[in-house]
Amino acid sequence: MAECNCENPLVPSMVEVVDIKDETPDVKTFYVRSENGGVPFNVMPGQLAMVSHVPVGEGMFSVSWQEENDHLQFAIKSVGLLTEQLHNIDIGQMIGVRGPYGNGFPVEECKGKDMLFIGGGIGLAPLRSFIKYCFKYREDYGKITIIYGSRSYADLCFKDELFEKWPAMKDTEVFVTIDNEEENWSGHVGFVPSYLQEINPDPQGLIAVTCGPPIMIKFVLQALEKMGFTDEQVITTLEARMKCGIGKCGRCNIGSEYICLDGPVFNLAQLKKLPPEW
Amino acid sequence: MREITNQIKDIARKLFEEKKIDMFLAWEKSEFDFQSMPFFARSAEEVEKIIFDEFSVHNLSNALLRFRDGKQRIGIVVKGCDSRGIVRLLEDHQFTRDRLYIVGVCCPGMKDPLKAFRNESGFEKTANADLEADKCNDCIQPNPVIYDVLLGEEQPPRMQGERFKKVKEIEAMTPDERYAFFEDKLSTCIRCYACRQACVACNCRTCIFDESRPQWVGREANTSDNMMYHIIRASHMTGRCIECGECERVCPVHIPLMLLNQKLIKDVDSFFGPFDAGLKYEEGAKPPLSQYRENDPDDFL
Amino acid sequence: MKVMKKAKVEKVIEALAKEHDVYVPIQRGAQTGFFSYRTYNEDYDDIMLDTLNVYQPPKSIVFPQTEKMYGFKSEGQKINIDQVFEESEPKIIFGLRSCDLKAIDYLDELFFTKSYEDEFYRARRKSTVMIVNACYNPGTSCFCDSMGVSPNEPENADVLIHDIGEGDFAWEAKSDKGEAVTELIKDLLEEQEATLPTLKNFKRKVDYEGVAEKLKDMFDHPMWEDMSYPCHNCGICTYMCPTCYCFDIQVKTAGEEGYRFRCWDSCMYREYSQMAGGHNPRELDKERFRNRFLHKLQFFQERYGEPLCTGCGRCIVVCPAGVSIIKVIEKVKEADV
Repeated sequence: MAECNCENPLVPSMVEVVDIKDETPDVKTFYVRSENGGVPFNVMPGQLAMVSHVPVGEGMFSVSWQEENDHLQFAIKSVGLLTEQLHNIDIGQMIGVRGPYGNGFPVEECKGKDMLFIGGGIGLAPLRSFIKYCFKYREDYGKITIIYGSRSYADLCFKDELFEKWPAMKDTEVFVTIDNEEENWSGHVGFVPSYLQEINPDPQGLIAVTCGPPIMIKFVLQALEKMGFTDEQVITTLEARMKCGIGKCGRCNIGSEYICLDGPVFNLAQLKKLPPEW
Repeated sequence: MREITNQIKDIARKLFEEKKIDMFLAWEKSEFDFQSMPFFARSAEEVEKIIFDEFSVHNLSNALLRFRDGKQRIGIVVKGCDSRGIVRLLEDHQFTRDRLYIVGVCCPGMKDPLKAFRNESGFEKTANADLEADKCNDCIQPNPVIYDVLLGEEQPPRMQGERFKKVKEIEAMTPDERYAFFEDKLSTCIRCYACRQACVACNCRTCIFDESRPQWVGREANTSDNMMYHIIRASHMTGRCIECGECERVCPVHIPLMLLNQKLIKDVDSFFGPFDAGLKYEEGAKPPLSQYRENDPDDFL
Repeated sequence: MKVMKKAKVEKVIEALAKEHDVYVPIQRGAQTGFFSYRTYNEDYDDIMLDTLNVYQPPKSIVFPQTEKMYGFKSEGQKINIDQVFEESEPKIIFGLRSCDLKAIDYLDELFFTKSYEDEFYRARRKSTVMIVNACYNPGTSCFCDSMGVSPNEPENADVLIHDIGEGDFAWEAKSDKGEAVTELIKDLLEEQEATLPTLKNFKRKVDYEGVAEKLKDMFDHPMWEDMSYPCHNCGICTYMCPTCYCFDIQVKTAGEEGYRFRCWDSCMYREYSQMAGGHNPRELDKERFRNRFLHKLQFFQERYGEPLCTGCGRCIVVCPAGVSIIKVIEKVKEADV
């Protein structure tokens, strides 16, 4: 569980948006830095932070990357009031952040293993923090396979990494799919779970990490189980409506666990012990 | 009442046996004598638990909303006011008549289990000797207005004296007095939305108060947001409230919600009437504020 | 034994109110609850130390229904958080019952343990003194002893007072905080022989033993659907509950200024777990009903070692539809799994 080092954990610290990158028509990545330079706090892959456009609202997002002690990146999809307003801000805007929250991915336990990342839509944002971590400490991890899909080509996030940087990395394979046929798309067409079954990775020594819409996660988990992955080999990261982020406000529970505190990362063995309410 | 209970059981049993219904809505007894509670029987065996007694105060038509998207055929027991709730649901296209088997009961006036429990609870300084549901004192329609079978003897309206008497008292106040009166009452609201949830006319799929884009009313439990909540809710009831009084009965802080509703009932009646909501079901009929007429009063423009 | 005579009760409250905001159980019009003695009006208000309890539990004193968190001002792209509202005025809750004290113990567990401490709660809580009115005469809907609460010998009271008849109360300081407030009013207490009443039998019993354990296998049990039918999914039970603590965080902005606040929320509301993208893990009424009872009877027990119910009985009394947590517990006990 995350340690709190701030005085009042519910009060955000203010950071400046130093860059904004359009990923897709409805996803932007926000680069934020403390006023006095550097990151407001250190984040491990898969951990969360509460981002507030202070006059509008607060929402919990996965930190999609921490670039050394320089800045944090949040890839945010416009789906509601807060995210719409965030998409309207310009570089230079001050926003609030508090965190880091949650357990993050088990980066230590995965060392020495081959890694399989399976993402859908904006679900690549949390996986990206782990993927980039694996590349940063490339020698610690084995073969890296990334399977990612979105509704359309335009909806694929992090295209430069997906099509250029990551495939060029050592011992790495990237498989991309889109839901429907499109002009100028010669790649795979179909949903992520079925593409996964086509690729049919050998579970031996492999850890699968998945994130995407709840319905995709459900089918991916089924597919992995069918391929012979054990429950301990399968990791996912969940989302829920969150307000406090510190395990008090109640709503993000699955059974007696709180996604904000005990999650958002669970392996399938842990998840199976909990009620199917996610 | 025992006689009526038996009649209801016989009807419900027969309906199940003839496979005409999938569910029957009535009451069952809970732990205390005064605790009648809504009961949802799903088989002829479960019918045995059904009771109808002087504490069967709840308006069960509200519970139909739970099944509005289903296909179940439902038997339901209604009193006069509750039957107006059925008309509300039919007029609002929330339910179809062919899915319902309506057992109407002429209502002699009900006692209030909440009042009885308050007496027992020890959470108040004084006990209330009279267990009569307050809402029944304003009843203008004790006999069901829509039914497949009618039980009990027709009852005279229980409302005594002048209708809208309390409303007129409030109308007679100066604006400042009136504001102070409602400020006092509404400042205590805890925003539990029990009034909304108990209301059959509150049948919007997404309530305006649950909307977040935009958020029409703030979530703070303070006088201004509370007033906003109650004024908007009351205005949404205009020409639609069927006077079952459940909102006021269930309110844990005793806000006189029916005063607001009665005021609007009175105004709709005088501006657009004569009209009382849900007294008669005619297919296609709409409440006055759901239609436009050239001769609608427009003094305020 | 120290005794507060009937004639001195109000004087004691007055004396304590000099340095504290004292909350007293009061019947105010149609309502009963803990109201600040500063708002006491003898023409309308009736102090209720002689009744079983009041409707509105004292949790709002340490955890208000609506609580400002911090204020901000914006200037162009700059935004400054200029105020954090941590409210720490010394308070006394005068005459709360064991069930409600236990409920505050549970709030302490929630807000002070498991990685984070809630500073807003701490500010209010640490300055609050609990003067507990020992309970010897359980009411119709009371079942606190079934939920592990001692009605007359509560743990963690600062002062324990006992109704010894004739409106007189025996007064026992139980903690340093209790000694300190006793010191403030010592001249108003008398030293005399006093026999404490005997605890009367509970009219209600419920067997909670093993329920949390059993519920682990009952998530899909049909009883949840059956029992949830009458429930309106309103928030009465959660707002009247002395232990329910779920809250929402929202913002109020007017022009360049505003403040963030938190307010009680209810797991009964659909919006509670509704995500911005549209997904809701507890979309159905039944699912929200089940979550409420599982939270109280299983999840809180698993996480904090005790059930999130102190047997005060309020939810049973106020439920418009007659839903009863006692019946839920009994159904769990009876259920075949």
